[in-house]
Parts: sequence; C-alpha cells; structure tokens
Amino acid sequence: MKPAPFEYAAPRSLDEALGLLGEDAKPLAGGQSLVPLLNFRLARPELLVDINGLSELARLRRDDGALRIGALTRQSALGRSELVAAEWPLLTQAVRFVGHPQIRNRGTVGGSVAHADPAAELPVALAALDARFVAQSPRGRRMLRAEELFLGPLTTALEPDELLVEIEVPPVPEGAGSAFVEHARTAGDFAIAGAAALVSGSGHAAIALLGARPTPVRAPDAERALVDGAEPREAAALAASSVEGGHRRALVAELVRRAIEEAVP
Amino acid sequence: MGRPLTRREDARILNGRSEFLDDLHPPRLAHLAFVRSLYAHARVLSVSPPESASGLLAVLTASDLEGRTRPLPIQAPEGAEVADEPHPLLAGGEVRYVGQPVAAVVAESRALAEDAAELVEVEYEELDPVADPRASDLELLRWRRASGDVEDAFRSAATVAGGRYAMPRLVAAPMEARGALASHDAAGDLLTIWCSAQDTHRPLRHLGHVLGWPPERLRVVVPDVGGAFGSKGSLAPEAAVAAIAAIDVGRPVKWTEDRAENFVAAYQGRGMEADVELALAADGQMLAVRARILADLGAYLLPATAMPPHTAAMLMAGCYTMPAADVRVSGVRTHKVPTGPYRGAGRPEAAYFLERAVDDAARALAIDPVELRRRNLIADFPHRSPLGFTYDSGDYRRCLDLALELRGPSPSEGEERLVGTGLAMYVERAGGSFEEARATLEPDGRVVIHSSTSPHGQGHDTTFAQIAAERLHLDPADVVLEFGDSALVPAGTGTFGSRSVAVGGSAVARAVDELGKRCLQAAARLLDAPESEIAWCEGGLTAGDGRTLALLDVAAAGPLEATARFESDLVFGSGAYAATVEIERATCRLTVWRLAAVDDAGTIVNPLLAEGQVLGGVVQGLGESLAEEATYDDQAQPTSASFADYSLLTAAEIPPIRAAFVESPSPLNPLGAKGIGEGGAIGTPAAVANAVSDALGGRHVDPPFTEEKLWRAMHE
Repeated sequence: MKPAPFEYAAPRSLDEALGLLGEDAKPLAGGQSLVPLLNFRLARPELLVDINGLSELARLRRDDGALRIGALTRQSALGRSELVAAEWPLLTQAVRFVGHPQIRNRGTVGGSVAHADPAAELPVALAALDARFVAQSPRGRRMLRAEELFLGPLTTALEPDELLVEIEVPPVPEGAGSAFVEHARTAGDFAIAGAAALVSGSGHAAIALLGARPTPVRAPDAERALVDGAEPREAAALAASSVEGGHRRALVAELVRRAIEEAVP
Repeated sequence: MGRPLTRREDARILNGRSEFLDDLHPPRLAHLAFVRSLYAHARVLSVSPPESASGLLAVLTASDLEGRTRPLPIQAPEGAEVADEPHPLLAGGEVRYVGQPVAAVVAESRALAEDAAELVEVEYEELDPVADPRASDLELLRWRRASGDVEDAFRSAATVAGGRYAMPRLVAAPMEARGALASHDAAGDLLTIWCSAQDTHRPLRHLGHVLGWPPERLRVVVPDVGGAFGSKGSLAPEAAVAAIAAIDVGRPVKWTEDRAENFVAAYQGRGMEADVELALAADGQMLAVRARILADLGAYLLPATAMPPHTAAMLMAGCYTMPAADVRVSGVRTHKVPTGPYRGAGRPEAAYFLERAVDDAARALAIDPVELRRRNLIADFPHRSPLGFTYDSGDYRRCLDLALELRGPSPSEGEERLVGTGLAMYVERAGGSFEEARATLEPDGRVVIHSSTSPHGQGHDTTFAQIAAERLHLDPADVVLEFGDSALVPAGTGTFGSRSVAVGGSAVARAVDELGKRCLQAAARLLDAPESEIAWCEGGLTAGDGRTLALLDVAAAGPLEATARFESDLVFGSGAYAATVEIERATCRLTVWRLAAVDDAGTIVNPLLAEGQVLGGVVQGLGESLAEEATYDDQAQPTSASFADYSLLTAAEIPPIRAAFVESPSPLNPLGAKGIGEGGAIGTPAAVANAVSDALGGRHVDPPFTEEKLWRAMHE
C-alpha cells in the first residue's frame, strides 16, 4: 500500500496553490480520505498540492452575522469552537460523529465537503443550515449551494482547477433548536443513515438526510408538514417515503423522528 | 500458582521497545512485493516482467521456482481423505483466487517494488469461478465417523429437531499483518528467516519441506509478534518466496504484508455450515446427533486447512451424554483464499451448530433450554464421546449454574425492544502432542529457561516465569525466559490450540523440577550434608542443622542444567456462556446487554492473564456475532477487503462481561492445566445466537446479526 509516484508542492500562498491545481493535481489537506486512496492506488494524481501551510484558509469566524469556515479548519477546531456551539450548534452536534478524535485532529471541514463521501456528516449538517460553498480558481470565485455542489458519490461540481476555500453559513433563525443523529455499525464507522434537523417554533424547519441518497438531500415535504404542525413521526415518515429498501426506509424514518424530537426547542 | 501477576513483558512492549518484523533493517535490505491475481479463476497465459524499472532487482515467477521448490505440505486429520491440492508458492498455469501470488518483485524499497509490480504484464484467460460452496463439485476433504446405533435412535426418537446453521468466513485481522525477512549466508549455506509467526517449529518444518533442505541449514527467528489468532500458524507461501528471493539476489529480502494483502491473501477462518439433527426421547434425553458439515475450504489446501472442519466434527457430541453420533464432513473447493485455523478453529463452529440445535430441540419439546441441557450434561469423567474423544475432567453443571448466576436478570421487553436470553455450553480439545524446555542455573543465580512454545501476545513470559519461580522458590524476576529462535530453543510443536500452558508450561515445570533436584544434590555436596536433609527456603537452600546456602552459591559452584520433554493426550476445557440481548424494534439494532463467561480451563496459573484471554476471545466472538463477515460476490470477487467494509468492533460495542473460572484440574499434566486461549471465541457466538433466536421467538438467523438481517427476520 504505497502510492504511485507523484510530485509534491507546498505552496506558500493561495494564488500559488491555485496556479498549481489542474487536471492532474489534487489538493492535500488533512489527507484522511486522499491518503488511503493514494495508498490503494485508486487516486493517481501527478501532483499533490499541499495546502496545509495556507493559514488564511484555516480561519473560523463570524462576519456580518454569518459563520465563515475556512476550508482548512480542522474538524476538531470546529468541534471545540464556543462560537459554533453557541450559534450553530448543529455543526457541533454533527462533527462529533466524524471518525475518531485522531481523524478529526487532521481532517478538515473543507476536505469533508470536497470529498463528498455519501456517508459524511458535515455536508448533511451544512445542507440543513443552507450553507454556501465558496470555490476559487485563477478564473475567480463562485458560490454554490449544497444541491449545486454535491453531484453524486465522491463527485462535486468543483472544477479541477478550483479549490474550495470557504464555507459560509447564514445565521440560524431565532429560537431554533437542532439535532444530528446517525446510525453506524460501530462507533466511528461510516454511517449507514443519519439526519440533521433545525426546527424553530416560528415557522422554520430544515431536515437533511444522510444515507437516503448518494448525496446529502433535504426533505422539503417533511419540512413543510412540520411547519404546518405535523407530528414528528408523520414528518419523519414523509422524509423517508422515497428511501429504497425496507430496513433503510425504517431506519431513516426513525432517525428523522429522533432528530426532530431532539431539535424541537 | 493462582497469583494475578501483571504482564511483565508490557513494560517493554507498551513503551515501544518491542521489535516487530518491520522494525528489522539489516544492511543491504531489499524489499518484496507481489503481483496478485485480480481474477477468482483464470488461466495464466503469460507473465512478462518489465525490461527495467527503477530500483528493480529481480522478478520471480512460477517458472523460476520450478525444480527448486515444492508446494507447502498438507496436514491430513485422522481418518480423513484429503485431495492433493497444495498451495503453489507462485501461480503456474492457473489462478484460483483473487489475491493469489503470481509473481514476486524484489526492489530497493517496498514502494519501488510496488511500482515495478504494476509493470509486470500478466495475460489471463478468465474461467468460471465457484463462489458458493453448495455449487462446488470438487471435494478436497472428506471425513465420516459414526458410532452407536444412530438409525435406531432416530427411529425411536419422540422428537427430531435441528436445522441448518452457518458461520461465515472471517479474517483474523491481527494488528500486525504477516511477513518474513530472509537472509542467505552463501558461505555457510545457512538460510535465516525472521518470521511473524506463532512459533519457530512449523515455519522451520514447512520451509524445510518447500526447499528440501535439512533443518541444520535453516534457522527461524520469531521476533515480537503483533497478534496471529491462528493466522500465522503455517508458513505463508510469500515467506517461502522471500527465502528464494534472498538466495537469488544475494541480499536480505523482506516481505511486510500490508493490510490490503492481508484481507485477500491471508487464510481466513470459519466458513462452515452444518445440517444438524438431534434425536430426543420425550423426556428430553438426547439419543443421537446426526450432522453433515460443509466447509468452504477455498482454492487450495494450506497445511492446516483441513484441521478446523475435523475439529468441529469431532466435537459434535458436545457436553452431553449422547450415546450415538454420525458426523460427516465435506470440504469443498471454491475460488476464494483458503481457510485455516482462526481462534477456536472448529470449536466455535461445533458449539454454534450443536447449541443452536439444542435450543431448537428445547423449543420443539417445549422444555426450557437450560433444563434440557441439565438433563443431558456429562457428569462422570473420564468420558468417552461417541466420536472418539476422551474428556479428561470437568464440572459442566457448575459452569452452567455459575453462568446463569453471573448473567443475572434480564431487562423487560416493551414496545421499543425485544429481549432474548441464550445459553451455550462448550467442550474443547486443547493441549496434546509435545513441548520441551531447558532450564539453566546461571552463575549469577538466575534461572534461564529456553521454551519451545513462544508467545504472540498471550503472556508466556509472565506465566512461565511464574510456574518456574514457584517450583524453585524464587522471585519471578530471577527467572528469564528465552523464546523464538530455532537455533536456541528445544524442539516442540507450536503455539496454537490453547496448548501453551498445558504442554509447554508442563515442560517448563518438569525441567525446573529436574533442575531443582540437581540444586539439592549440589547443595548437599557443598554443605556436606545428606541430600535428604536439604530443603528449599526463602532465597536458597537449607540443611537440617540450620546452615543455609544462597542459590547464587550453588550456581557459583558450577553450571546446572536440566531438559525436559512433556507429552500428553488432549485435555478438554469446557465452559458455559450466557447472553442477554436487546433488539431495538425501530432500527433492528442488536445490543448485547450482558455476557457471562464461565470457563473451566483446569488449574489457572495466572487468573489475570487468563481473564485477559477470555475477554479478548469474547470480543472476537462478539465481532463475529455482530459485524464480521468476509464477503464475496457471485464471481468470487472479495467485497469486504478493507476495514471500510469489514467491520471490527470498538470498545463502545462491548457489553459488561462477567467472567469466572471453574477449576477442574486435568489429570494429564503436572499443572492440572487445560487451555484458555479460545474459550471466549467458542462460547460467545453460540450464546449470542441463542439469545437472538429467543428474542425473535425462535426464528433462526445466522451471524453476523446485521440490522438488515434482523429486519427481514422480523418483517418478512
């Protein structure tokens, strides 16, 4: 399990990094998914662009009411942030389920998003929070919504020369409660299914599903039903109605129900 | 004896001072990687090495080994017919499983060897693979034993109960994968191989067979080993190739197996199913057992591939006074990596097959499953089983009572969950064959023991020192154990089958007893007193008149040494395991709520280490119950070949485990010991399976009890 030969560059600036990215290059952040893929020789980039030195991408801050998560923010830093716990607790709740502490110490929020693993927690929580994803290339910056970014398993709309640099999370509605629940075979294993819920008493409900589709998806029918006063169990059944497979459907329904009940403020 | 000394080897191992195979870096070391088959079954039309590659030293193919090597030997169980289908070192005209070594690449580094391996062009012509053992038409192993009037028992039975029970294939998943480092001294024509192995004896024998070399030209060294669980009991074909490579390139060559290789190419465990029928009288008396075991042996017979199915078959009468039995084994070829011993090696299968059938019989007879067992437990020893084993001692009833007591009450069932309880008894073969030990009183007063059995995680250093220290009235710190170098240790059989303490420990006991006698003789001489008046005292020896002599003084008078060989028939450990499980209705998540483990391993030398063995075995048994399964698709392609797909439990899934011992000494060795290495892995899957079936109202599901399977059992 040794990677195929590759060139390695450790740029000192974002511009330099962006100049190096392209068809045969891969950005290396925490390496928690990329390095195993390299070692299995499933990923064979000619160039690894190590962005770990770009401290400007590791900032986590509130700006204009929105949370700005630099792509290089470690998952453990997100998990420890008092700001995030106070204002965007869904992220704190979700990041606990990412791998194990050792993985979270290296793994980055941006890496978790850009890798687009169907079993990843953070994309689901970010989808529920209506986050926007900032991609940058020498051609400029663009903002994508979750449904625009996540195209399929391990597939995003990012171009080869684009780098995910920041994630922008709008403020959560006043008085909203949130919860993240998931189900895995063993603690820290890839999730089989999960659900993120953000619910306020004043007419806002967001439910995002993990394991229902190959990408994070929202459950608009369930959200509407919830706003219209449906019981958590009814809303959960709606959220799971299109999930294939008897056990998986039941599992998603149960997890959504729990997430809503835990989230209701 | 009986003192819970902590593992003295841990200070070294836990502080990173251990030396595993991959820590060895002799000068001029070259590295080995393998080109492995991507097909489950194919004809190999050609193998073309690259003309050159960076750092490439040599490429070996089957034709390079022709005339120089033989395939690995095949061990045939007693009374079995085995096919002559040994595992080739490198595939010749045909590959028969994904991961089979086709060519070996030697290069300056492992990374360069892997790069060059990609450049080896292999031309295949695909053939139809057999993935399902039921679809196989080639028997590699056949065995049958019948005793007692089985036909009559089934004719006169009030009830016949049973079913088909299956245990999937598992990977052993030791923390350290396999590996070997070979070095050939051309001048002395001596080949030394450092091997991540369970012992030195079997690699030595296998390597001698493969190369056709006498043992004096071979030396096997076993460094620290990061776990084996049965999977390092035979010389790996790749290790033999490393030996040839070292001879050919004239440099030391190391093969460090990586996890990806270990998943597809290290032999797997279990992979058996059985059709079991029990004949019972109306009062629950067991009259006979009939079983047909089908074993998915894989593509070839490795040295010990045929052993686990035979062990399973021989134990199919269990702990019960079963007067008649008819058991057949059919081991068939599939296009998968061969199977072999994995912790329990046939014993967990036997316990699972029989104990599931006993529970099904209890349900058919409407007798409580505990009560049904009580009515049939063997109480008199030695007991000759209808299949030919002689159980030496035991107290099965006490094990059962204690297991139920330790398990305690169950939580109540409700809308949210189903609750089930299960019990499983087991009896296991342990020990057997021989081991040797050599005990030397060194001039500094310490006793050095060379033991033929060697550790790979069990704690031999602590346990054997404890055995020796007590018999010589020494502090265990003054006893030094040496293992794992065929040039230094005496002859033996190996570390497997829960036999180290019973056989290797007994050899140590005999050797130090003899050394003790020689110390008494020497003391008598030195003190000029009759030998009969010399006795051991704290720190040395004393004469009847009160004069004392430190052991150091005895040692100073000249070296003393004693060697002993110990051999015995098999000993039979036993136990009772009781589990309580919950199944969450909404998700079908199975939680083992409580597990009680009672093992009778005879006299326990060190209860702390023995309990550690039980807990480790229980955890592996729980993994087998809850999560583990080596899966293949219908083209025999592995579909669980990394830890992303093959789930091992974490500490979070382990329930409270209550372990206790019953000690029925074995009459067959001076320690009264049996074996404790496998009990946890034997009793746990059967007890959990019975609990799951109980929770499901008697429906049968085979492990692993995934939520998907439980969902189907509850809803379809």
